[in-house]
Amino acid sequence: MNTTPHSRRRFLQATAGLVGAASCSWLPQLAAAAGADPNRKRSCIVLWMAGGPTQTDTFDMKPGHANGGEFKETETNVPGLRFSEHFAGLAQQADKLAIMRGMSTREGDHLRGTYLMHTGQRPGGPLNYPSIGASLSKALEHNQSTLPNYVAVNPSGLLNGSALSPGFLGPRYAAATVGTRGAPPAEGSDAMADLGVDFLSLPPGIDTRRQDARLALWKDQQDQFLARHPSGAAEAQATIFQSAVKMMHPEAASAFDLSQESTEVRETYGRGTFGQGCLIARRLVERDVPFVEVTLGGGGLGWDTHQGNFPAVERLSKELDQGWSTLMRELSERGLLESTTILWMGEFGRTPNINNTAGRDHFPDAWTCVLAGGGIAGGQAYGQTDEAGSEVTEGKTEVQDLLATLCRAVGVDPATEHFSPQARPIKISEGHSIDQVLA
Amino acid sequence: MLRIAHVPVSCAVLLLAWTMALPAQDTSTDVSSETAKMQAMAARIDELVQTRLDREKATAAPLATDGEFIRRAYLDLVGNLPTVAQTRAYLDSDAPDKRQQLIAQLIKSPAYPTHLANTWRALVLEPSDDPQRLQNEQGLQLWLRGKFSQNVRYDRLVEEFLTATQGSDGPGYFYASQDLKPELLASETSRIFLGLQLECAQCHDHPFDRWKQQDFWGLAAFFAQLERPGNDNVIGLGRFDIVDRDMGEVTIPETDQVVPPAFPGSKADYASLGGTRRQQLAIWMVSRDNPYMPRRAVNWAWAHMMGRGIVHPADDMSPQNLPSHPELLDELTDYFIRSGFDLQLLLQTIAITDTYARSSEAVSDSEAPPELFARMAVKSLTPEQLYDAFLKVGLLKTDVTMMQQDGQRIQFVARLRTASKDRTFFDTGMPQALAVMNGPPVSTATSPETSGLLKALSAPFLTDEQRLNVLFLAAYSRPPYPDELKRYQEFLQTAEPGQQSAALGDVLWVLANSAEFMLNH
Repeated sequence: MNTTPHSRRRFLQATAGLVGAASCSWLPQLAAAAGADPNRKRSCIVLWMAGGPTQTDTFDMKPGHANGGEFKETETNVPGLRFSEHFAGLAQQADKLAIMRGMSTREGDHLRGTYLMHTGQRPGGPLNYPSIGASLSKALEHNQSTLPNYVAVNPSGLLNGSALSPGFLGPRYAAATVGTRGAPPAEGSDAMADLGVDFLSLPPGIDTRRQDARLALWKDQQDQFLARHPSGAAEAQATIFQSAVKMMHPEAASAFDLSQESTEVRETYGRGTFGQGCLIARRLVERDVPFVEVTLGGGGLGWDTHQGNFPAVERLSKELDQGWSTLMRELSERGLLESTTILWMGEFGRTPNINNTAGRDHFPDAWTCVLAGGGIAGGQAYGQTDEAGSEVTEGKTEVQDLLATLCRAVGVDPATEHFSPQARPIKISEGHSIDQVLA
Repeated sequence: MLRIAHVPVSCAVLLLAWTMALPAQDTSTDVSSETAKMQAMAARIDELVQTRLDREKATAAPLATDGEFIRRAYLDLVGNLPTVAQTRAYLDSDAPDKRQQLIAQLIKSPAYPTHLANTWRALVLEPSDDPQRLQNEQGLQLWLRGKFSQNVRYDRLVEEFLTATQGSDGPGYFYASQDLKPELLASETSRIFLGLQLECAQCHDHPFDRWKQQDFWGLAAFFAQLERPGNDNVIGLGRFDIVDRDMGEVTIPETDQVVPPAFPGSKADYASLGGTRRQQLAIWMVSRDNPYMPRRAVNWAWAHMMGRGIVHPADDMSPQNLPSHPELLDELTDYFIRSGFDLQLLLQTIAITDTYARSSEAVSDSEAPPELFARMAVKSLTPEQLYDAFLKVGLLKTDVTMMQQDGQRIQFVARLRTASKDRTFFDTGMPQALAVMNGPPVSTATSPETSGLLKALSAPFLTDEQRLNVLFLAAYSRPPYPDELKRYQEFLQTAEPGQQSAALGDVLWVLANSAEFMLNH
């Protein structure tokens, strides 16, 4: 790479322009975060429940009421805090969970709710807002890392494209997506879900020997152009493509290679895409990746249980419990849970009353999300719904407040401003963080 | 006093009928005098740029080589690379005016309005990576393409855009995307057509800015009377008809203060102009002596060709943000108005200057700052240009107009859509780079099984040198330099028999992923 003083100067100018004034407001914040935890950056994992999970059969049960349904409650390691019986693993770690039972939003449509929960904004406006993953990975980013700052595992095929999008932050902050390779294992099969990063592998017919030969020629080609055409655009192209090449290097790519884990560990997480995705999340957090989102219920909006709610929720709950509780246990064993905040959410909740096809319908009025891990005061339920579960009676929480709380938990000021293309300052969240659930 | 550039909106239909009835006036004397005026203006541009360079004691870069120039002109004016045959013909031509001939030919090509419509769609709408939204934008893009292919007077284009009522008529999508909100429509239309960023005055008077809250809300008041009709005629997702009512006002937020319509920086009385509020605004905007509208158009055209505006950023022409070449901006604006707001002529005039034809190579370490235009800026390709360029080097498809609806293209464009409107940035990320390196269309264009170019090059009578020549012409519009030729010849010689085509594919992969390919220089 050309490093004459003047090309370096231009590159710095170009880079400065790119982050622009935005950097001014978050630099002090970064400094503060580093002060609190000098040795490592924080990470955030969103566990995304596609379809909208039922609060009444998971974390806000109504035993004894007609709405309560078939499941029993189980005691947890926090006296008085009870979950569904299908969360045996999580029940042992309830002291690390804050159950947000007062969620109240205004979008009852899958795509609109997905966008709302990811961006804090209702869809349809003139601005394309960045998803919380893009905003937080920008605020927490690791410039030196060979891994992407924002990884989405198995995002739903039906998901609105703009929900995971970097919006006005631009493609530099887009998620690298991890998807299934080949057919997912059939129901009841012994096979493990095979996950991989989109476009990380060489195209068919290109082996590493050929790739190395290509890259040797490519380096010369790049150096030659940069020397003749020093410019911000050329330096940025070279840098970004070089980091993509580094990412393909076995050492970096191995972060996603689950064959390096023992079969026993992989089994503990669960064989499906969610369990294996949680394992990828742990491997990425170990390597300081700031933001990972793992989806459960993917392509088919699994939690959308309009019919036959109970068997579906039982199956999904067990899969969720296995992956999530193993993830927390392993992070904790590695000393990483304190610096990793987990947010469990879907696009909305489901009606407390059971419909005549034994299902529950869309319900944004009163539902539940869960915060866990680093920066969170666990072992509590914040907010409350009435006996029937039909309205919030205490601690009403809007999405902006939830996201503001998440920001605080990872040490980012929610008022951190990023700039729209018209240089309009936009805060990550306009909401107020809920101090009671912050550690 | 307002001087109206042409007949106001209410008579536009009549005027259109009249102009269409006119016989063609394309006599040769008119053409040559037009050309002479254009050449004189181009020379004047070069003179004014040179004067500033002299004053700063800076040296201009030499003129670009033919290969550098043809690639740049194709990308800027028609949005795609030239073919190998087009490049060869241009390199081989001895015509003294071949640069001007090329520009004249490109600007008449059907790909010119397509590319310009693409560029303007990106200027008008926020970037989106949502495929659904991208498809919705097609209506606006088609409308723009129609205007540019007829070379409609720019002032009339602005007027039609501002007063659109039919959702099926392109601009309906712009109004929909701004939710019909007066404050959003005011800040976007003033940015797009006036180069004014008034929105900072939306919430408060800025101490250093001449624009006050009254200015902002006065402009917003022109959009205060819009609504969707009751019999909602929804044409496709995100487009709808618009009705101008005769009631509805704006108030400054958190006050009861109603702000009447007012033109920014002007005492002209809106009420003396007839028609709806939007028509009144349009009449003011397109009047000959509007201080902002034609200057903004000129600055856009300059920025489109040169990578940065005479005022930079190009859409922020506030009085605090001074032009690098004030005289040049004034004279070009005057030229643009006198030409009858002819955007095509304006682009053509800039394209035939020596300033546009300068090399993008740095000549010395102490080079002139970019606002002196001493050398051509290095610009990123748009995602559309990039996709089409990959197809072109693989000779996979040649008809650009057919590509518009290609699903893979829409996906690719969605993935690489940038947030920055400044093309001197390369604004993309690692996941996108991976997709380019390992995914289609590059993998298709560089694989011997699917690449038309590699198949054509497998002819046994060709030498490696000839093959490499074709690859370089296809990707870079230039033959390889001697050291490149040597390097790649050696590489091809190491390939096993039967792997020749694959090795050529490797070379094409290297070129397709290089900065020289992915940038317009």
